[in-house]
Amino acid sequence: MAGRDVVFRVKRYRPESGGKPAYQDYRIPYRDDMVVLDGLNYIKDHVDPTLTYRWSCRMGICGSCGANVNGTPRLTCGTYIRDVHKGTVTVDPLANFPILKDLVVDFDDFLTKLASVTPYIVREESGDLSKEFVQYPEEVEAYRQQSLCINCMLCYAACPVFGASPEFIGPAASALALRYIRDTRDEGADQRLARLNTKSGIWECTFVGECSVVCPKDVDPAAAIQTLKFLATMRHMRRLLMPGAPSR
Amino acid sequence: MGEELGATRESLAYNPGRETVHADQKAGEPEVFLEPLLWGLFSLGGFITAFLFPITVFLLFVAPSFGLWPSDPAAYATFAAHYREPLVRVFFFALIGGSLFHGTHRLKFMLVDAGLRGPGIEAALDIILNAIAIVGTLGALYYAVRGWLFA
Amino acid sequence: MAREYPWRRRAGWWLQNRRYLAFQLRELGGVVSAIYGLIFLNLLRTLRAGESAYTAFVDMMRTPPILYVNLVLFALLVWHAVTWFMLIGKSQPIQFTERPLPWRAVFGVNVLLWIGVSGAVVYLIFGGF
Repeated sequence: MAGRDVVFRVKRYRPESGGKPAYQDYRIPYRDDMVVLDGLNYIKDHVDPTLTYRWSCRMGICGSCGANVNGTPRLTCGTYIRDVHKGTVTVDPLANFPILKDLVVDFDDFLTKLASVTPYIVREESGDLSKEFVQYPEEVEAYRQQSLCINCMLCYAACPVFGASPEFIGPAASALALRYIRDTRDEGADQRLARLNTKSGIWECTFVGECSVVCPKDVDPAAAIQTLKFLATMRHMRRLLMPGAPSR
Repeated sequence: MGEELGATRESLAYNPGRETVHADQKAGEPEVFLEPLLWGLFSLGGFITAFLFPITVFLLFVAPSFGLWPSDPAAYATFAAHYREPLVRVFFFALIGGSLFHGTHRLKFMLVDAGLRGPGIEAALDIILNAIAIVGTLGALYYAVRGWLFA
Repeated sequence: MAREYPWRRRAGWWLQNRRYLAFQLRELGGVVSAIYGLIFLNLLRTLRAGESAYTAFVDMMRTPPILYVNLVLFALLVWHAVTWFMLIGKSQPIQFTERPLPWRAVFGVNVLLWIGVSGAVVYLIFGGF
């Protein structure tokens, strides 16, 4: 199937030369087995070496090649050109993030939000850590879905609430909070729910659900946030009705 | 070309119109008190609204106008007779209270989303919308018990 | 000079795809429920006030153009109910079994339950046909 062309309309932003982001068109040949990332690499290698974007593994696990393809957040390595193009493939940097250069966005904000939910197992220091901690398959199943998150931030680019309100903790950080809350080895649920029960926490979510639609790993952060709302409300009620009792 | 290469991170973060928020600056952010309670009422109201509203609106305001129902459930004699029963009174109390707490919560977030944001504005929205819900629910309670528990 | 390029969400973001639009209509349906809450409150007020006030209000609700407004609001209410049943299974996974039930199953059960509850309302609240 040689000899076919596709136009890549790529958003360019060069901070050192000032000005606003603008589209640049590249006409490149493509085959049916090429993904959007292959198209970007073709441009970089053969047409315009100044084009800047992130990528690493090419197999949908590193989470670094996300971009808005024809307006929808996608992993460019997992999106075939043949599936998305109608003559033109439009590639924008992930929506809702400040642009550093071309398709590269600043996600420091996401990383600090992620850190704020302690995305690791929290244990009471007085506990006995010398014994093996047995976990049954169904206990693993309880958090497996959320543990598949690859931090690609497509969910943030899809979230209109985050788009309007940059303080909002957002989908992935919430989903990972639930992942550790549901882990039977973990004892940090209370501090995570305290973090999420804030102005910038889960309450701003209106369950648009687009985060779960674009998630390449079916983490379903939208559902995770609703579950967290339920858990946070239950914790709140317990603290109101039984002020002396432990929170969990 | 206002800046040298190698300018500090702070200058990179300069971002008018959308401040780059760093969650570590938000460590120790106070927990909210009302939000979980309002969300609880919103959820409860959502169940009431979803399960009970379509049939009730259909019977009272839609079906009779189009001849889709053999009788008119909203005819004065019929409705007044039914409304003497405690179950019917409780039903309409739950319907009104639940829908008001559900709908005002949704309206608040629609308005915030449309741009009415900021601590002062959101506090004002909370007060106004919840006042509507509370006063409406008390009104429903009044009509539910009046003529039943007292004259 | 700004080096990062800031993001601004478009005002018409919810027209961008069908799912966003479906969401916005669902939210609107929730607000509509509160409008009917107030309408029911007024219905009870006029019921208290007597037959002429009550009948005047019910007739007004059934006269065009308010009748057609009612139809639109009713459609939004139904959409709100249907989406609510779709979302319950996602937000509160039901765990009678080892694995949570898929949301489609929960949706199906909820719709059946909805039909049952509606039938109960017809008989218990409105005295049947």
